[in-house]
Amino acid sequence: MISVAVLALLVAVFGGLFAIQVWARLRLVRLAPGAFAAGHEAERSARFVREVVFQSKVIAEKPVVGLAHALVFWGFVAFAGYSGAQLLKGLHVVDLTGTRAFHLYMVALVPFALAVIAGILFLLVRRVAVRPEALGPLSWESVAIALFIAALMVTFLLDFRLAGWPAAVNWWAHILIILVFLAIIPNSKHFHLVLAPATVFLKSTVLGDVRNLDFEKEEVGIETLAGLEKKQVLDAFTCVECGRCQMNCPAYGTDKALNPKRLILQNEEALLAGMMEAKLAGVYDPGVLWQCTTCGACENQCPVGVEHLPLIIGARRGLASNGEAPDALGAMYNHLERRGNIWGLTSDVRQKFVESAGFETFDASRHDYLLWLGCAGSYEADFQKSLRALAEILRARGVTFGVLAKERCTGDAAKRTGNEYLFQELATANIADFEAAGVKKILTSCPHCLKTIGEDYRAFGFIVEIEHSAVLVSRLVGDGRAAPPDVVTLHDACYLARYAGRTEEPRDLLARVGAVVKDPVRSHHNPFCCGAGGGLLFEEHEEGTRISQRRFEQLQATGAPTIVTACPFCSIMLKGAQASANAATEVVDLMTYVDGRLKAASARAASPGWPAAGQRQP
Amino acid sequence: MKIAVCLKQVPSRDWQPRVNEARTWVRDAEATFEMNEPDAYALEEGLRLKERHGGEVVVCSAGPARVSQVVREALARGADRAIHVESDALAAADGAAVAGALADAMGGEAFDLVLTGLQSDDQGLAQVGVALAERLGMPHATIIMEVKVEDGALRVKRELEGGWFQWVAMPLPAVLTIQSGINQLRYATLKGIMAAKKKEIRKVEAAACASRQRIVNLYAPQKTKQTTMIGGSAAEAAAELVKRLRDEARAID
Repeated sequence: MISVAVLALLVAVFGGLFAIQVWARLRLVRLAPGAFAAGHEAERSARFVREVVFQSKVIAEKPVVGLAHALVFWGFVAFAGYSGAQLLKGLHVVDLTGTRAFHLYMVALVPFALAVIAGILFLLVRRVAVRPEALGPLSWESVAIALFIAALMVTFLLDFRLAGWPAAVNWWAHILIILVFLAIIPNSKHFHLVLAPATVFLKSTVLGDVRNLDFEKEEVGIETLAGLEKKQVLDAFTCVECGRCQMNCPAYGTDKALNPKRLILQNEEALLAGMMEAKLAGVYDPGVLWQCTTCGACENQCPVGVEHLPLIIGARRGLASNGEAPDALGAMYNHLERRGNIWGLTSDVRQKFVESAGFETFDASRHDYLLWLGCAGSYEADFQKSLRALAEILRARGVTFGVLAKERCTGDAAKRTGNEYLFQELATANIADFEAAGVKKILTSCPHCLKTIGEDYRAFGFIVEIEHSAVLVSRLVGDGRAAPPDVVTLHDACYLARYAGRTEEPRDLLARVGAVVKDPVRSHHNPFCCGAGGGLLFEEHEEGTRISQRRFEQLQATGAPTIVTACPFCSIMLKGAQASANAATEVVDLMTYVDGRLKAASARAASPGWPAAGQRQP
Repeated sequence: MKIAVCLKQVPSRDWQPRVNEARTWVRDAEATFEMNEPDAYALEEGLRLKERHGGEVVVCSAGPARVSQVVREALARGADRAIHVESDALAAADGAAVAGALADAMGGEAFDLVLTGLQSDDQGLAQVGVALAERLGMPHATIIMEVKVEDGALRVKRELEGGWFQWVAMPLPAVLTIQSGINQLRYATLKGIMAAKKKEIRKVEAAACASRQRIVNLYAPQKTKQTTMIGGSAAEAAAELVKRLRDEARAID
């Protein structure tokens, strides 16, 4: 009877310690403003099954480590019944351990126990001996927890063998480890095993989902720690500190101060210290908020559903609303406000281009698509070429399109840099134009316009079918392989590949015009940014190595003489890097390239003297 | 320091001007409008001087009801309050009439410093600032590139022709006309826009507009094309071509 009382006391003490710490954190979540996003339950549930139950993200991004983690996770879940039954037995509530069913359950647990031991030892060696940069300095707490987990398994296995007092000792060891473990986890990164299932479920179904500010409620963005929203507070306590965000961040990777993991941990520390009135920007290292390209790698890579983009952009809003955005952005905002484009050019520049390219004004009764030019398509000479190429491809295939008489920027750069008022002004004016023109289908060559019109405009109730030119043209273009073979590398644009998931269409298209694509490091769904996103196209001084230079080197390393990309900003950045490197590697937009290849193919088909396809020209 | 900044609302540069039937003004009913660019720099300079020396910035504008667009914009950027001399006739009035209307409305305020843009993007008269100085009985300096307030007086840098500058010392109160590009314009912040809604705009009735100038013909420059055949031998023709390119077309030095 004494043992029951002792156990009850221990459960009360350690359970109490657990509860106090959890309560302190959940209280902060409860006090935080905002609400957890609702809707898309089916999609969220499916993701929960994929990413939590099957650990798909943990494994896919880092197969070996991920599998080791999955073994430990599955083992943990399997063991809940065993440890729970032991506790109930000890407290004399009910003894299930003597039943035949329990014995069968125990036998079934043996492979799990062995798997957990193997997994945890692997992770322990990695943490203590290999010490990858992502994990940061060695934490003894993690080592202790790994040893606890291994010990739990060992005590379970010994349960088969031992009898008498050694069995009792073994039993107490098992129970004590569980209780101590319980008291440690809320204040450690292992709290993710409680919170991550929730954060993965609650995470938006859209990457970089930054909700609109409500001006009626006088919302201005996140100024102080008290302004962090519920999910952001929950994220701070969930972070497992694996460093995947950090290792995939283009700013961190080019020696800048920004480290997305550090932002989340600084939130956690400041929240627990109760610094609710502290300026959020002051919680972080100076300037880091303006080093983010909003490429989305951090959020997309995070295995526990942390959303970095609403945090960074929310904090930028808090600064921009007070006039504390960098000067270069201030100039860009004035350009947007006065001229409706990021460069502040007058609309006659666009008008001349539209006339010389022979683009008709959109008429819903005659045109399949509204061709949205965007700032670059309207004003940037190089990208205008890409629009001309696209028009030729479309015309040759009988696809009809028109452009708006006047266009203004979608507001992408305003949204991503935290000038929410300007974004909403531009968005509502554009939506009014779309609706007045009866626009149903939009085609654009700019992945940023794609995201802004296609996803951000939904918040205003405007839902439209919008497609990137790479996707439409990949459906339209047949066999263009008659052109002499060529080798290229493809730079996946963040807003096309990571945000919109369009990684295969540009590759299919390139293959269809006879180009062999050599992928660089960081390709497909996890590209390395060009450095232009999130308003950084306008950045005046870039700390560390230039992101564009790093990406250009990665692309150059493929050995392909041509870099193809399908985003005007990537094109500007990579051409800049190419010019500073004085490199022979050419940078060309996808549509310009495809149009050129198609023309070369038809020219060759028309002249009988050419060598057969597959052979190089002299 | 009590600073006044005079602002004009002008047709937007994005708007293709069309002349009215009487050829006396543009069809401004079809136009979109914006803040006159040099005035935007004058406003920014006023806000910076206030931040440095304290006081208030009052924006003053003369024109029809639509002018409130640029007045609100100025308030959102940080001006404290506004005076709007409301009159449809002032939209196309001459410099002296606008200056008179502004002076009547501003006279009672006892401003220490009055800033205007150098000239307007529409008529480009560059008259309102100097005429206003006369009406307010203040000294003035034009084409200002830098403003320093020292010991209750001004030191200002004026832009001259050919890359020359001039520093002028002058007393306060004074009127300065500000050159574009003198500073970096701030943007309208969300908080500024919210605060602007609560700021005062004092509407002043304009006395009968007394424009003494009248536009009799407004027109866009005619574009002409002319083809000349140059005869003679190749050498003579080339020499003649070079001469004409240099002397007439001024395409080469």
